Amino acid sequence: MIARDRNWLVIFAVCAALAVAYPLIADGYQLTVIRDALIFGLFAASLDFFWGRTGILCFGHAAFFGIGGYIMALVTLNDAIPFGSLLGVMGAVAGAAFVAAIIGYFLFFGGIRGSYFTIVTLAMGVICQQAAVSWSSVTGGDSGLIGIPPIAFDVGGLHVDLSQDLPSYIFVAAIVALVVLALWSISRGRWGTVLTAIQDNEVRAAALGHNAPLRLLVTFILSAAIAGLAGALYVCMAGLVAPDLSGLLLSTEVIVWVAVGGRGTLLGPVLGAIVIQRAQQTISSFNPSLWPLLLGCVFVIIVFVLPDGILSIYARLKSLFRGRRQAQ
Amino acid sequence: MPPKAWSPACANASPARPDAMDFVVTTLLNALTLISILMLVGLGLAISFGLMNVTNLAHGEFVTVGAFAVYFIQSVGGSFWVGLAAAPIAGAVVGCILEFAIIRHLYSRPVSTVLATWGVSLILQQGLELTFGLGAKPVTPPIEGTLDLFFTVYPAYRLILIAIAMLTLLGVILLINRTSFGLDIRTVIQNREMAEGVGINTRRTYAIAFTFGAAIAGLAGGLVAPLAIVLPQMGVNYLANAFFVVIVGGVGSIGGLVAGSVFVGGLTSVLNYQISPSLAQAIVLLAAIVAVRLRPNGLFNGASR
Repeated sequence: MIARDRNWLVIFAVCAALAVAYPLIADGYQLTVIRDALIFGLFAASLDFFWGRTGILCFGHAAFFGIGGYIMALVTLNDAIPFGSLLGVMGAVAGAAFVAAIIGYFLFFGGIRGSYFTIVTLAMGVICQQAAVSWSSVTGGDSGLIGIPPIAFDVGGLHVDLSQDLPSYIFVAAIVALVVLALWSISRGRWGTVLTAIQDNEVRAAALGHNAPLRLLVTFILSAAIAGLAGALYVCMAGLVAPDLSGLLLSTEVIVWVAVGGRGTLLGPVLGAIVIQRAQQTISSFNPSLWPLLLGCVFVIIVFVLPDGILSIYARLKSLFRGRRQAQ
Repeated sequence: MPPKAWSPACANASPARPDAMDFVVTTLLNALTLISILMLVGLGLAISFGLMNVTNLAHGEFVTVGAFAVYFIQSVGGSFWVGLAAAPIAGAVVGCILEFAIIRHLYSRPVSTVLATWGVSLILQQGLELTFGLGAKPVTPPIEGTLDLFFTVYPAYRLILIAIAMLTLLGVILLINRTSFGLDIRTVIQNREMAEGVGINTRRTYAIAFTFGAAIAGLAGGLVAPLAIVLPQMGVNYLANAFFVVIVGGVGSIGGLVAGSVFVGGLTSVLNYQISPSLAQAIVLLAAIVAVRLRPNGLFNGASR
C-alpha cells in the first residue's frame, strides 16, 4: 500500500468516525441538515468520479440528479406500484444511467471530448430543466411534486422505515460512505489507471489496446447512476421535487463543490459540498440574490488562486516550508 | 406609422391567396429571423471557440448586455436606433474587459477558462439584476405594423432584423477577406507561430477578434430585444444554441456558420409549430448530437482547416 492510499484511508476513517459520533452531540434538526448535505456530497462525489478521473467536465450533471428525483417521486406517489421505495430507487438509478448511455454513446463514439462535451452537457441541463417546467401534467410544472413519502421497505424480515431523523441520517451516511469507498477502490485500481492513461494521451492508450470510448462511456454511466441515486434519496428526504433540482445552478454548484474540495480526491468534494452548503445557507439568509454573485466570484478565485482546491493549501504550505528549510 | 403605409397596391388580392402558401412563407421567414440571430451570436463564438480554442461561457451575456443597452437607452428617452448603436459598443466593452482581465491569462488552461467565464457570466447576470431589478424589461420595436409580401403579411421589424443581420454578415465576410486586419486574422488562425514569425502581434489580433465577436453578439442582443423577453438570464439559451451552431457547422469557415445556423434555426422554428418549445429544443439537441456523431468535422467541412 502506497503512502497516498494510506493517507486517503486515514482521512476516510476520521470522517467516518466523525459521522458516527455526530448524532451523540447533535439534535434532530442538525442531523437532517447534515444528512441533506451528505446527499449533495454523494452527488459531488459522482461528478468527481467522472471529471476527476477523465478530465472531461460535465456541465449538466444536475440533469441526472433531477431525472433520478423525478422518477423516484413519480414511482412512490403512484399507489398502484408495490414496493415503491425500492422500485423507485432502482428506477431512478436506471433512468439516469439510461439517459447517460444514450447521450454518452453518441458523444464518446463520435469523438467528442473536452470543451465540446462540456457544451453539450450544458445544453442537456438547460433542456432537462425546461422539460421539467413545461411537461406539467407529469412533473407538476414550476411548483413540482409534493408529499413524497420517506423511504420504507422490508428486507429479509427487517423493516426499514426512514421517517425519523436518526434512522434516515444513519442510512444516508452509510450509503455515502459505501459508495465513496467503492468509487475510490475502482478509481485506484486498474480501471482508474486506464482512465488516467486515456486522459493523458487517448491515442496512445488506444494503441495499447484499450477501448477508450467504451471506458469513458461506462465511467460516465456509473457517474450518472450515482447522481440519480443521490437525486432519489434527496427527494424522499425533502418530501418534494422541483425543476431546480435539474437546473443549471445546481449543475454549477456541484462543480464548485468538487473544485473547492479538490478534484480527483472523492472525499474532498463531499466535504466541499457540506462546507459550501453551510456557507450558502448563512449568506442566503440575509440576501438571496447575493449567493449567485458570490458563486461567480468563487469560480474566478478558484481558477486564479486555488486551481487544485482547498486541500492544496496544505500541500502548498508544506512545500513552502520545505523550500525555506532547504534554503537555510 | 400606420400599417397601411407599408402595404403595396396589390394588398387587395389577399382573399385569393392559398393558405398553404401563407403558412410556408411565414414559417420560412420565422426560420430566417432565428437563423439571422443565430448567425450573429454564433459568429463571435466561431471566432473564440472554433478558432482560438477558448470556451467562453459568458458569450450569452454579450447578447444580454446588448439587449439591456437598448432597454436602457429607451428607458431614458432615447430612440431604438440609438440603443441599437449602443448595443455592439456595450458588447465590445464587456468583451474587451473579459479578454484583458481573464481569458488571455488562460489560453493554455481550457477547463479553467470554462470555470472562470462561467463565474463571470454569473457575476454579470446578478449584476444586471441588482442594477435593473427583477422581472422582464419592455423594449418597443422601432416600427409597428406589418408588411404585405403578397403571399403573407409579416411584421415589418422582423424583416428589418433579417436585413441588418445579412448586411452585418456581408460586412464581416468583406472584413475578413478584403482588409489587412482580416489577413492578419486568417494568418493567425492558420499558424500562430508562423504568424508571430512574420511579425504579427498575435495577442493583439486575438484580443481584437474576441472583442469584435462580442460586439456582433451585442448587436444580435439589441436586434432581438423587441422580440424576446429581456431578462438577465436570457443569455444561456442563445449560448447553448450558438454552441450547437458552431459544433454542427464545423469550425473555420463562414459556410460552416451558415450551415449550422440553418440546421439549428430551421429545425427549431419548424418544430415550434408542431410541439412545445422545450420539446423542440430537446429534439434539436438530439439531432445536433446525432449530426455530430455522423459528421464529426461538421456538416460543412471547411476547407480552410
